[in-house]
Amino acid sequence: MRHSSRRGWRRAVNGVNVAALLVFLFIALPLYWMISAAFKTPEGVGASPPQYFPHHLSTKNFSIAFSQFTFGQYIVNSVIVAVSATVLILVFGTLAGYALGRTPMRGRLAVLMSLLMISVFPEIAVVVPLYALLRDIGWLNSYQALIIPYTAFFMPFAIWILRNYFLGIPREMEESARIDGASPLRTIWSVILPQAWPGLFTAGIFTFTACWTEFLMALSFNIVNGYRTIPVGVALFGAQFVVPYGTIFAASVVAVVPIAVLVLIFRRSVVSGLTAGSVKG
Amino acid sequence: MASSSHDAFRRRQARLGWALSAPALTVIAAVTIFPICYAIAMSVSNVSATGSGFSLNGLTGNNYSIMFNAPQWRYALFFTVLYTVVTVAIEVALGTAIALVLERLTWARGWMMALMLIPWSMITVINAQLWGYIYNPTYGVLDDIFSRLGLGAPVILGTKVPAIMALMGADVWKTTPFVVIIVLAGLVMIPRDYYEAAAVDGAGGWTIFWKITFPQLRPTIALAVLFRVLQAFGLFDLPFVLTNGGPGDSTQSLAILAYNAMFRDLDFGPGAAVATSTALLVVIGCLVFLKVFRAQAGTEES
Repeated sequence: MRHSSRRGWRRAVNGVNVAALLVFLFIALPLYWMISAAFKTPEGVGASPPQYFPHHLSTKNFSIAFSQFTFGQYIVNSVIVAVSATVLILVFGTLAGYALGRTPMRGRLAVLMSLLMISVFPEIAVVVPLYALLRDIGWLNSYQALIIPYTAFFMPFAIWILRNYFLGIPREMEESARIDGASPLRTIWSVILPQAWPGLFTAGIFTFTACWTEFLMALSFNIVNGYRTIPVGVALFGAQFVVPYGTIFAASVVAVVPIAVLVLIFRRSVVSGLTAGSVKG
Repeated sequence: MASSSHDAFRRRQARLGWALSAPALTVIAAVTIFPICYAIAMSVSNVSATGSGFSLNGLTGNNYSIMFNAPQWRYALFFTVLYTVVTVAIEVALGTAIALVLERLTWARGWMMALMLIPWSMITVINAQLWGYIYNPTYGVLDDIFSRLGLGAPVILGTKVPAIMALMGADVWKTTPFVVIIVLAGLVMIPRDYYEAAAVDGAGGWTIFWKITFPQLRPTIALAVLFRVLQAFGLFDLPFVLTNGGPGDSTQSLAILAYNAMFRDLDFGPGAAVATSTALLVVIGCLVFLKVFRAQAGTEES
């Protein structure tokens, strides 16, 4: 209202808009740098001085990433591991989240606190014992070597999100279902779940992102190239004399796009998950 | 009669609760409890690696005394604490400032929120490679900008202090958006009347922020700080790829030190001691925070 007397472009130039533009540049410029490098020719990526705008657009980096570096295999591996762990977590986590949010089970607080502790526990403290354990049962270099640890370590946070969501669902329908004689699992399936989809989305996206980005366990447990996930592949591209940045960023763009699209589509769920008393980065 | 059937119902419900949580809790316990206990056991034993695994031969305090006497461990602890304090402080201050700006936007707010989610959801390893490219000494864009501004060409990742700052910069870029999202959501929930009342009383922007906005945001910010601190303390992916702990040991965090001790030098006992004590610090920090947070929330309610 204050600025209504100003006219034309002068109205757009105020402190807030200038600050917002700076914020936009702060976030967007590094992203631009990554995406533009992916589409430069390999020579353009290593040009000095750097090409602020690509001189020639090329998709050669992408073909190198997929033909010379088996990046397609890493994507397949990441998808298998992340999808399996997310499904397992949502199935088990929904039951546990319902129990912790809606039933008067004893020791709820102790369970919730233990889950919180596990969800912040530094991975480095368990990597070597888990490695030894996986080796003993012959699981090193396999999908389950990541699926099972991810399920266990990322489930506590999902349970927290789901429990907080279940707490907010009104109890009346559940009670009438019970009076009608529906079994507990039946009640969860047909009464609770239909109302809990947003919570499940939130938990699912957080879990998927956590699995998709996890590095330390993937690096330690799956040493064979055929079982590497995207983060490990992207990190080890650099294990040569010259870091092939063009290839790395072509691969990175491919890896970032699906998760970015997912997060953008479900951004309400993501934001509510980040803020619903269950904050984690 | 009614109350006893109610009790029976509650007992049934309680049993149902355990039955429903059993699969989840079993998986979690099976995979996490053994490694946690084993790591603690390793840290207080003479560990030798054998062909078929590890053998723990007798209790010893050696691993911890090696750790306490190692200058690398003391430096890694110092570096991790410094890194945590500086990055979290910058991210919270900058994130709050950005959220205050975005709150005043109209149509652009949704788009800016969407943009904020991209760095947050990005794989840390990719972030590390991106900044490695930006900081590169021969064709990095930052050196080019510096020399165009007539500031010379600094050796960013090859010198100690610039390397630490470069690492923090990459972290700030990726994680500030996370703080922005949380704080913005907190801001939107503050009732309008509070601001109107303050404006009627003639309070200025700065006073309004410190007297109304900040106290209302405090629980939100506190939780964000907790998770950021705990996460920063386990710092591994970013320095592993961006600096590999270097130059020298100058960006070697506790997690990198533990990893190198165990996977590179095969010093499993001392490595386990470093890893276990890091986890212990995180758990203690979390408990202390929750206690303080609850006490504060309690006094505010009463």
